[in-house]
Amino acid sequence: MSYKKNEDLDSGPGGSVMDKMTVFQDCIAGFNSSPIQPRRCRVLLTKLTYLLSTGDTFARDESTTLFFSITKLFQHKDIALRQMVYLVIKELAKNADDVIMVTSSIMKDTTVSSDVVYRPNAIRTLARIIDASTIQAIERLMKTAVVDKHPIVSTAALVSSYHLLPVSRDVVRRWTNETQETVLAQKMFPQYGGASGMSGPAPSYMTQYHALGLLYQLRSHDRMALVKMIQQFSGAGGSLRSPAAVVMLIRFVARVIDEDRNMRRPMNSLLVGWLKHKSDMVNFEAAKTILEMKDVTDEEATPAIAVLQLFLSSPRFVSRFAAIRILNRFAMVRPQNVNVCNIDIESLINDSNRSIATYAITTLLKTGNEASVDRLMKQITGFMNDISDEFKIIVVDAIRSLCLKFPAKQASMLSFLSGVLRDEGGYEFKRAVIEAMFDLIKFVPESKEDALSYLCEFIEDCEFTKLAVRVLHLLGEEGPGTKHPTKYIRYIYNRVVLENSIVRAAAVTALSKFSLIEDESVQASVKVLLTRCLDDPDDEVRDRAAMALRLATVPTPVAKSYLAPDSVPSLGALEQQLIMYVTGGPDAASVAFDISTVPFLTRDQVDADNFRAKVSSTMPVIGSSMDGSGAGSGAGAGAGGKGSPSAGGAASSSSGAGAHEDKTQMYAAALAKIPELQEFGAVMRSSNVAALTESETEYEVRCVKHLYKAHLVLQFDIENTLKDTVLEDVSVIATPSEDTFEEQFIVTLPKLEPESQGTVYVAFTRPEGEYETVSFSSTLHFISKELDPSTGVPDDTGYEDEYQVEDVELGVGDFLVPTYIGNFQHMWDTLPYEASETYGLEGVNGLTEACESVISSLSLQPLEGSELPLQAATHVLKLFGRTVQGGKVSALVRMAYSAKNGVTLKITAKSEEEVVAPMVAAAIA
Amino acid sequence: MSSWFSRLYEYILSLFWSSEMDITLLGLQNAGKTSLLRVLGGGDFTSDSIPTIGFSMKRVRKGRVTIKCWDLGGQPRFRSMWERYCKGVNAILFIVDSADPATLQVARMEFEALVSKPSLEGIPVLVLGNKNDLPDAYDVDAIIDVMNLKSVDDREVSCYSISAKENVNVDAVLNWLVSKSN
Repeated sequence: MSYKKNEDLDSGPGGSVMDKMTVFQDCIAGFNSSPIQPRRCRVLLTKLTYLLSTGDTFARDESTTLFFSITKLFQHKDIALRQMVYLVIKELAKNADDVIMVTSSIMKDTTVSSDVVYRPNAIRTLARIIDASTIQAIERLMKTAVVDKHPIVSTAALVSSYHLLPVSRDVVRRWTNETQETVLAQKMFPQYGGASGMSGPAPSYMTQYHALGLLYQLRSHDRMALVKMIQQFSGAGGSLRSPAAVVMLIRFVARVIDEDRNMRRPMNSLLVGWLKHKSDMVNFEAAKTILEMKDVTDEEATPAIAVLQLFLSSPRFVSRFAAIRILNRFAMVRPQNVNVCNIDIESLINDSNRSIATYAITTLLKTGNEASVDRLMKQITGFMNDISDEFKIIVVDAIRSLCLKFPAKQASMLSFLSGVLRDEGGYEFKRAVIEAMFDLIKFVPESKEDALSYLCEFIEDCEFTKLAVRVLHLLGEEGPGTKHPTKYIRYIYNRVVLENSIVRAAAVTALSKFSLIEDESVQASVKVLLTRCLDDPDDEVRDRAAMALRLATVPTPVAKSYLAPDSVPSLGALEQQLIMYVTGGPDAASVAFDISTVPFLTRDQVDADNFRAKVSSTMPVIGSSMDGSGAGSGAGAGAGGKGSPSAGGAASSSSGAGAHEDKTQMYAAALAKIPELQEFGAVMRSSNVAALTESETEYEVRCVKHLYKAHLVLQFDIENTLKDTVLEDVSVIATPSEDTFEEQFIVTLPKLEPESQGTVYVAFTRPEGEYETVSFSSTLHFISKELDPSTGVPDDTGYEDEYQVEDVELGVGDFLVPTYIGNFQHMWDTLPYEASETYGLEGVNGLTEACESVISSLSLQPLEGSELPLQAATHVLKLFGRTVQGGKVSALVRMAYSAKNGVTLKITAKSEEEVVAPMVAAAIA
Repeated sequence: MSSWFSRLYEYILSLFWSSEMDITLLGLQNAGKTSLLRVLGGGDFTSDSIPTIGFSMKRVRKGRVTIKCWDLGGQPRFRSMWERYCKGVNAILFIVDSADPATLQVARMEFEALVSKPSLEGIPVLVLGNKNDLPDAYDVDAIIDVMNLKSVDDREVSCYSISAKENVNVDAVLNWLVSKSN
């Protein structure tokens, strides 16, 4: 029994005081009496439910006894009693033995006609009591219930199936078809009411939501099935009527996009469609999903932002809040995209709802320019006291990223931060403020002195030990380097006098760092202060002080290696080594722990790590400072760059998009191993693998083309499929058809073992900046040596041989990178250069095949689902991409098919670069 | 017409002198408990009933008497719970499959365990050899022998050979039950 029960709880229904044991005894007596008195039993059951739901529990044997006496109530047909019985059994089922006993009785209730009010209760209870050995018995029953015409029964069965998943996933999977049927059945929920003027909830199609959820659970392991499901339910028919179900479907879409980049384009067009759905909920979810996609492009983001912008002026609080919240999040990553909404957001600053106003201001802080900062800061200060800690944190985070963006404004922001630091607030809030100030100190050097003195003031009256320790540490790090280090010594020593032992220890450590200053008087006074600490009641504090005093007597470089070491052990590795040492048993404990096994990191490396951690945790914040490098972010981004060049690189490279990037990176790793290739620069594009031989020949050769700025590298992957022949000095002689390409060198393969693979690289120069196509006739040259069948040693004398492979073509497609855009028509209208060609393709069967071949030879991205022809006779294919130089290219391919003439197609290409359009138009020939 | 009157008469009579009684149906799985109950309640025999998981409850009316029949599952996992439902009942029906000699020994052991329970002392037991329509079914005397019924001396024990399928002796069972109502 808990002690904290108040008066209200002790007096249960009816005002009488309820005692667990009395209720228990009453129940046993009441349920076992004959004949049953339904009213009395209902009251007893209510009491029992009350006890169970207010935290009382019965011991296992008591629960079991109760359970069995409740089963006696199945003899009575009273409907209200039966419902109560189900509710209580559901509660007791967790804690009683042999609950399986009521299975048959419940099954009888689940098969009654669907109007009976307790049928859903029966189904839900059944799911709670069934176990894996008997679940087969209820399979048919559940199937019938799932497709029952009554939505409440159907929902009960679906939700119960959900709970049955952990019991036996395989059995539940057997009613996948029924579940699917239910999604499509569109049962109105609730069925009654409405017409009779009852003010119940509006009719909904909630069953769809439950069915969809179950279907997802059954299919989540299988991505293909999931994709099929999404396509089925998002289809033109719009079979999903429940907004909640659509929202759930959008979440599935988000998952698919996240896991598989190739699904992104088709899925994105679905999302765009949902932006126009008639339910707000769906609009928001679709917009949110689009904006949260990795590396979302401007074209993808624009429609979502436009929809949210409309909601900003909605009369409903909820809509405004949802819209501004999503925009706020997005503004952290890409403020420039949210700029368009600035006017609407401005009008929300004075919104009567403080939460909306907070989001509005913080969004503006991210999107706005330097001039508006002061005005906005004044606005925030006005209502900082009216909002909750959570929102304060949001504001502080916004200020923090602003500091990095506009270092010139650091003074006003710093005074704002110090102001809020004095306000009341919880740990999380204070921590956010402290973090912001730490960042300022690190990235905006001008603010250092002021920020440090604000922090000193803060620890004078700080209730959070953790924060005080962090501030003291920072003072120890930064203090000695400032102009007036003695100022900080006073603040630090105050802590030694006034605080708890943890803070005192931290203060002593901070103090000891001041003894490194090359100033006799400072060193002397620090020594005096540390000597006093030797009398501290806490041993940790005394130890640290003694250590510091001892270090004061040794030469400075030695002291420095202890007080401000250049390298520190990698903490993660240290922890792991120590755990292994501790759990290693007596053998490991017999020798001392060897610290040299732990890798040490230099200060620069630690900084880089910290920075990377910060980038990943507050990626949006740092990202914004880099994107908005227009006005004054030079210092912020510059400081970041100095701390860790690699982290800066990582942040910028993550904005590159497309599956092609992945592939390029994969090859880049292999190419980086060849020193000769390094001077060519970065690979601009790597083509798909093209097979140059039939499969199952003696030697299989595949080729990948790597395009550099002024060079071309052909990568030949050669597989020796013979069992008894070794190839030596393998090279490929590739002769270009155009003399503008000149062979540079060949990276040969000294030896290719039987049944193994090797790679030969051939490098050429190519005309820089041009898109010249060429074909190479290639021949494999090698010395073939047979293996002695008995010893497996190759013969000494081989013979030279060559092997002709198919030509390597460098086509137009190799210069193009498929890229996605949201609005084809808009792009089409803006591109300046145009060219078109008409072809007749014979021997092509149907438009689908024609589409595939055009897409693969042009290597452009099909848009708006146009890669799948809907009609057999005519089709328009829309393509978009960029050249390796970055120019936009789009193509409109009109095709017509007749059985007699094959496919006739007309390619109209438009491009940013003058030479590209005619080249693309002519590419098919 | 006369039957209509007699039914009305019975109904009015039942309002004043009706009585209720509890009985339990026990026995190994597939002995025919659920089928017998269906026939007792006036339903038709079907051979495709599913095994009872746990118990099911059914009311049977005979004249002025309402019999609440607790039909308990016969699988081994439920046998331990028979006792809970037998406490305080007016009679226990123990059903065996008289055409399946292999199960009779198990049935005898379960039966002996049941009658030796102190909490069930004195409750009258009716042992029914079901399925006597099948060839090679044991007759009454054989069942009495196999089940060793003669050795039970602390209560009333009867034994009938019946067939729920052919409706043989089912009325006798009902009459026996009604006679046990008090």
